[in-house]
Amino acid sequence: MVQRLDNYYADFVRTFGNVLFAVSLFVVWGILTLIGVIVDQGKDPSIYFGSYPAPIARAILRLSFDNIYHSPWYIGVIGLILTSLTVCTFKRVIPARMPPLRPVKIDKIPLNMSLEVAGDEPTVRARVEEFFRKRGWQIRKREFNGTEWTFADKHNWARRGVLVAHIGFVIIAAGTTLYWARGFSGDTAVVTGQSVQIPETKAILHLNNFAYTITPVLTKGGMVYQPTDYVSHVTVTGNDGVPKAMTVRVNHPIDVDHTLYYQATYGFAMRFHVTHEGKDVPSFSQRVVLEGDNFDIPGTRLTVTYDRFVPTVDRASGMPSADPRVNDPAVILSVAEGGTPSGTAIVPLHTWVDLGGGWRIVPQSYLLYSGFQYRYDPGIPLVGIGALVLVTGLLISFYFLPARLYARVDPAPNGRCTVGVAATTVKGYDMFETQFRGLVSELTAEAT
Amino acid sequence: MNGHLQADELLMIVAIACYVFGALALLVYFFSREAWLRNLGAPLAIVGCVAQFAQLVVRYELTGIWPLLNLYGSLSLFAAMSVAIFIGFAWRYKLWFAGGFVLALAAISLAYGVTWNEGTMPAVPSLQSYWAKIHVPIVVSSYAAFLVAFVFSVIYLIKYYAEERIAAASGAVELAGTGMTMQVRGDTPALEAAAAAGNPLAVWLQTLPPLAQLDVIVYRAVAIGLPLISIGIITGAAWAKEAWGAYWQWDPKETAALSTWIVYLAYMHLHTRNAWRGLRTNWISVVGFMVVIFTYLGVNIWISGLHSYKM
Repeated sequence: MVQRLDNYYADFVRTFGNVLFAVSLFVVWGILTLIGVIVDQGKDPSIYFGSYPAPIARAILRLSFDNIYHSPWYIGVIGLILTSLTVCTFKRVIPARMPPLRPVKIDKIPLNMSLEVAGDEPTVRARVEEFFRKRGWQIRKREFNGTEWTFADKHNWARRGVLVAHIGFVIIAAGTTLYWARGFSGDTAVVTGQSVQIPETKAILHLNNFAYTITPVLTKGGMVYQPTDYVSHVTVTGNDGVPKAMTVRVNHPIDVDHTLYYQATYGFAMRFHVTHEGKDVPSFSQRVVLEGDNFDIPGTRLTVTYDRFVPTVDRASGMPSADPRVNDPAVILSVAEGGTPSGTAIVPLHTWVDLGGGWRIVPQSYLLYSGFQYRYDPGIPLVGIGALVLVTGLLISFYFLPARLYARVDPAPNGRCTVGVAATTVKGYDMFETQFRGLVSELTAEAT
Repeated sequence: MNGHLQADELLMIVAIACYVFGALALLVYFFSREAWLRNLGAPLAIVGCVAQFAQLVVRYELTGIWPLLNLYGSLSLFAAMSVAIFIGFAWRYKLWFAGGFVLALAAISLAYGVTWNEGTMPAVPSLQSYWAKIHVPIVVSSYAAFLVAFVFSVIYLIKYYAEERIAAASGAVELAGTGMTMQVRGDTPALEAAAAAGNPLAVWLQTLPPLAQLDVIVYRAVAIGLPLISIGIITGAAWAKEAWGAYWQWDPKETAALSTWIVYLAYMHLHTRNAWRGLRTNWISVVGFMVVIFTYLGVNIWISGLHSYKM
């Protein structure tokens, strides 16, 4: 039993510690991510059947490609990558060291050189060591079977670069996990002059007013109405119970008791004047309806949806104009009877639409509302530190090349010595070839 | 204002002209190795690059709007950074022979960018952030580094398959494309023998650096691009956090950038393996650049999302 467990463990470590396995996971991760880019996410199934042939649409839905980033496949692959990263860290990265100090066959190493130098063995060896030392190489000497070897290392510490990068990942993962475990987020919409209470924090958000700026720009392609500012002036009451006036803009969230509030959306809330047989129905007139909301007409099977606000109607065509500024406003209303859509209409403000049965709706007035996102994320510092560590690890890995030189000095006839030098690196020989050639030419020039 | 805008356009015309003529000179140099062509192409590349950076600065000075917030501006920086990174490599490693390809791609991206120039537009609120001055140049520079890697990967592959053909024709044993010893010692014996026998293709191939050196150049370019795109994704996440409240929104641009990062991460991991270093990793570099193009242009143009700032 123990033996079998040992075998399973060995298989697990062998598989997850294999770089090719990790890269295979990257490939699957990359493909799944690209699928998520290409296939619209989180849409209604009818959208997929409208966009793709039926078999593909069915496959998208059955394989959860419509919500791929939260699918078991995606989360599973990320889990496998994190497992692989952990195993690789302990199996490959941490134990990895420069080869132990031992003699080598210099001429068998592709990066090698030898030259004859005048002088006795100790003097030449001392000169060679001094040559390397002056260039920042760390010198160590060992004797093997009566032969003295000189080992020179550079940037040996940089071997930890990969480990540092892996640790960065782990810290980022810890930061995001902290948010997942203890953080929260949500969104809310506040109509001008009204207040909402945030359920998680009990903070009260009162919207004093919301303003937007649309700048018309004449481009080569025609007039473009560019939004250039969204600003909410709010009064916030936090834990201390003291109301504070604050301003929220895009890219400028406000911090209330460590929860950040972001300017997210805006829209036009409507007040409708509803009459039946010419008589006002007051319960409707006091109600404020947001875009996308609907209401039932009492005593009928009719449901009216306030689809969206139209800032300016093109009077010539009767359709919404491209101008998003409020000049000649209208609303788009949809009516459904018993759940079945029965019509849509653009209704200018202060005009009416008859629903039948004596019911009439008049879009009376609009109020701007502001949409906020809020988020409490205790993992921010960890994620920041993790990102810094990750980038540091990458830079160490890519820009510092740990290399080792093996040198031995052997006596040669006529009072001369043969100096043999070979080099190895952790990234193969090619990466160090140019530097080695430079080193060799300098050594040759200095020693001869 | 109008006169200044003409200066802006003039600089752009100078840059495109320099790139086109520089590309022609260096493309001919790639095949002929006539030194005067290199001496003509290299200064044109430098002048074009300087003109382009000057154009971006002038545009910013004139409009007060950060010029990289639309496809026109970012493609302009992409072309300029591609040429700048290439000049750095060419200067240090004597690689002007590849300049024709880099300049041609820069000219194409610049000409394509001009088609998206709709004039000056104020930035939408989400782009009005200091992060725009950090995140966008870093990401675009990473793409530029990947372009340089792509060009040298293509040259690597051309040389690899040409050498393989020569080796097959000469009856030599299979090309040891990733053999360590061969790599550091220069070209294959088959290539050297064919060149000595006067084979014009072999003679020309010998003017290119050995495969191992080309592979190292690709690695060095990716080693610039990967940290940059990593920092770019991180700064993008920080910006998203500030603008939208979440590091990551699974927006098509974010996820496509993640795919790019994954491909080059795979490249770096595989480059540590002797069996994969060389032919296979260079193919990955080529595929990686295809993903870059999809991320950079495909997502902006074809897929709408939070990063759809075409104009």
